[in-house]
Amino acid sequence: MTNTSSNAPSIRIRDLYVDYGARHILKGVNLDIPSGKITVIMGGSGAGKSTLLRCILGLKKPVSGSICMLGKDVVTASLKEIYALRKEMGVAFQGGALFSSMSVAENIQLPLHEHTSLDQHTIEIMTRIKLDMVNMLDAEKLMPSELSGGMTKRAALARAIIMDPKLLFFDEPSAGLDPSTAAELDDLILKLKGGLRMTIVVVTHEMESIFKIADYIAVMSEGELIAAGTPEEIRASTHEVVQDYLNRKPREGIVDADEHLRALTEGSD
Amino acid sequence: MQNFLERIGERTLGILEETGRTTSLLVVVLFHMLQPPYRLYPIVRQIYFIGARSLTLILFSGLTIGMVLGLQFYNILERFGAVDLLGSGVALSVIRELGPVMTALMVVGRAGSSITAELGIMRITEQVDALECMAISPDKYLVAPKVVAGLISVPLLTSIFDFVAMFGGYFVGVVMFGVAEGSYMNGMIDAVQWEDVRLGLVKSIIFGGLVTLICCAKGFYMHLSKAGSQGAEGVSHVTTDAVVLSSISVLFSDFLIGALMQ
Amino acid sequence: MESSLKSEKGYDLLLLSGEVDLQYSPKVREKILGALRQGKPLLIDMESVSYIDSSGIASLVEGFQTAKSAKLPYGLLNISDPAMQVLTLTRLDKIFSLYTSTEQFSQQL
Repeated sequence: MTNTSSNAPSIRIRDLYVDYGARHILKGVNLDIPSGKITVIMGGSGAGKSTLLRCILGLKKPVSGSICMLGKDVVTASLKEIYALRKEMGVAFQGGALFSSMSVAENIQLPLHEHTSLDQHTIEIMTRIKLDMVNMLDAEKLMPSELSGGMTKRAALARAIIMDPKLLFFDEPSAGLDPSTAAELDDLILKLKGGLRMTIVVVTHEMESIFKIADYIAVMSEGELIAAGTPEEIRASTHEVVQDYLNRKPREGIVDADEHLRALTEGSD
Repeated sequence: MQNFLERIGERTLGILEETGRTTSLLVVVLFHMLQPPYRLYPIVRQIYFIGARSLTLILFSGLTIGMVLGLQFYNILERFGAVDLLGSGVALSVIRELGPVMTALMVVGRAGSSITAELGIMRITEQVDALECMAISPDKYLVAPKVVAGLISVPLLTSIFDFVAMFGGYFVGVVMFGVAEGSYMNGMIDAVQWEDVRLGLVKSIIFGGLVTLICCAKGFYMHLSKAGSQGAEGVSHVTTDAVVLSSISVLFSDFLIGALMQ
Repeated sequence: MESSLKSEKGYDLLLLSGEVDLQYSPKVREKILGALRQGKPLLIDMESVSYIDSSGIASLVEGFQTAKSAKLPYGLLNISDPAMQVLTLTRLDKIFSLYTSTEQFSQQL
């Protein structure tokens, strides 16, 4: 742990390009994620937000660009340096990604067992503290297969924050949850932001969550960052795609009558 | 025609890539084995999974193979009036060949396929990514213990197979067909040399490592192959691939090792 | 992280300052449990604690548990803002006995 732990880190992303074969997934993304706040990266499917997240986490190597946080560039960092960075990060994956052969408590304790030499008693208290924070104290001994969708997300969250990371990432936290459970999770995220000094990044497309929790919003579309700012600034944006997202309008293409007819009837003579 | 050539090219490149990945996984595993911290418990657990899961199958197939050998060797040797060679015949074929090969194939079917499925599922449910993001190396935590366990448990299982098979041969030859017990036992003891045992041992160690390595690699690198985008169906694909590939590798390397150590 | 243990009239005063995190919390734990083993009430001065993480909190909780079963008075003095935030979040502000002066604590004994 470093001595500036009271300052949550910021993330600087510059000129990020990612290709998948011949396809361009990210086309020169420039983004500053502010420290100590909740930043939401939003966009439709295929916008590239999950890829962006994976690059920040060091799970995907971009073709070019830089991602600077905590004094290191993730893109050029060595594996050892990336592992050191990851000890300051917590990630709550979309499906929870809990280890199926371990109980909830064992899942949460894993990073402590691997990276610290704390007494088992201390570890257990820390586990219960985090479980209590996410309202899952009675789920301590359950196995992941016995958890509901909402419980899985909360257990994954408890595991993500067990080492008191400075950076917390969520990949589609509301995916698969009913509206009220999703709202509970949003409240939880807000509660954590207040109590623990963290920079939180949430990748999602759920509009309601976004405006409830975001301090800063980055809008992505087709591999590019098309808008970034406070919720008010985004709402006032004149960008067509942004407005479409906000108004939940499906993207319309221009329909050429002849083309359309041909596409429907081709080969059916 | 061009399409056909393209596909062959694609396939070849795919196979080369996969071989490269699997080899580098082996290097990484060896590297991790020699570095502290040395955690014995995960390895012991994997030995239990691989060994205990396969034990009944090994006992059963060992006995059956031994009995079949006893049957067939008796049939052949009787024609030449050389039935007292039964003990040697059974013992040598089991220790040199059938023990290591059959054990490895049984382990592939029983433990190997479940290793591939387990790692494949972990990969597609982002559990491997979760480990990475917790700064825990999945190679060290997931794969290395399995490979080490394979190197240890397959030779152990092979020895068990060998004993049970030789007993099976004894049962058929001596108890069923009335071959003299003395000639069977002495035949075994006299014929089996250290080089036979050594051959069997070397084979079983190599098979153990090979089978677990291939099965681990298939599941662990699932996301880099076509199956990675197929979800549950993809898991069953890589599992069957792993079983086929490790079985073929066992049979092929069986010949190679035998020829090299001749 | 700095810590010092002072013997006061009828109780021990453990002064903590700096950051109590994964690196230092085992040491804090040792100090707390060691002091309680002496059989005297313990007051922990938290005024100069700039940061405390859950491993540090866990050590405080363990101290609380130990003190409770030994029936020794145990309290936290002048919790700093950062520490208070974490205590509120973990609902431990309702569990620990919090004091704003040493006289408050010594009066209880």
